[in-house]
Amino acid sequence: MRITIIFFIIALLSTISADAQKFITKTGYIKFYSDAPLEKIEAHNRQVNSALDFTTGGFVFKVLMKSFEFEKALMQEHFNENYVDSDKFPSATFVGTVTNIKDVNLSQDGIYDINVDGKLTMHGVTREIHEKGTFEVKQEKLLGKAKFNLVVADYKITIPGNVGNNISNTVEVTVEITLEKANL
Amino acid sequence: MKTWIKIVLGIVVIGIIAIFLIYKFVYNKEHPDYENIEASISLTTTELYQAFKSNKDDASARYNGQVIALTGNLSKIEAVDSLVIAVFVFEQGIFGDEGIRCTMLQKFNDVAGKLQPDGEVKVKGYCAGYNDTDVILEKCSIINQ
Repeated sequence: MRITIIFFIIALLSTISADAQKFITKTGYIKFYSDAPLEKIEAHNRQVNSALDFTTGGFVFKVLMKSFEFEKALMQEHFNENYVDSDKFPSATFVGTVTNIKDVNLSQDGIYDINVDGKLTMHGVTREIHEKGTFEVKQEKLLGKAKFNLVVADYKITIPGNVGNNISNTVEVTVEITLEKANL
Repeated sequence: MKTWIKIVLGIVVIGIIAIFLIYKFVYNKEHPDYENIEASISLTTTELYQAFKSNKDDASARYNGQVIALTGNLSKIEAVDSLVIAVFVFEQGIFGDEGIRCTMLQKFNDVAGKLQPDGEVKVKGYCAGYNDTDVILEKCSIINQ
């Protein structure tokens, strides 16, 4: 965990350079969606930290697991206590790069396809992910959107057999962030 | 009516009641009433922020998941979509202002939106943790202003 935090801080610090164009938000949005035979479950988090170095494409996320909100209190308890163990692993982190950031034209409003490569750390497990998304340039802001699937077993999250029909082994993750130019 | 039929009917009725109670009070139980729940810890914003800055692991074990009452000088109010956030700034960092961010319960959005910076406020909320830039409190209410 300590290594992850240090890596996260180094990644953030590396986004700061004299000529860096840095975009940030502290109110990004992430949704988990599980579609199992007996139940559909959603969780929402609107307190996502994210930073983008537009010069290099460096891109980081950090999200507190206890900030995910579920419709049912029991689901939220099980999520924190039984599945992601949020006392032991309080956050999830993504550190990566928008590999085609050069294709995004900040002076031209529009929607641009992006490719994101990096490492997602959750529940103490770090895995490479490669996903696609979009950046919409709008009035000097970057509206980022992505939707992808995660296999919970990849992050050593175990779904007990007795709730196997209530929780899917694959969850859909939706990311929506509005990045604003940082005045640092 | 025969005795065994009465017993079976009794078991069925008790079973139905048990299922209803489990559904209502376990499976479908309400989220905590964060406005009216009593804070388990009271401290100043400075004390909370410094606790996380000086020893994140220790502070996380002590405060994460707790309902905390905080007193401090408000720096600003942020409004983002449906969120109203009371912000207590302590320093500048890689994400700009760093400190404590208290997301208000929707019921308190209007009153929080009218708070003036630099005034002392007392808020209560659920501590979600420290994300290396800010301590995050959720479901906050204003105790006084």
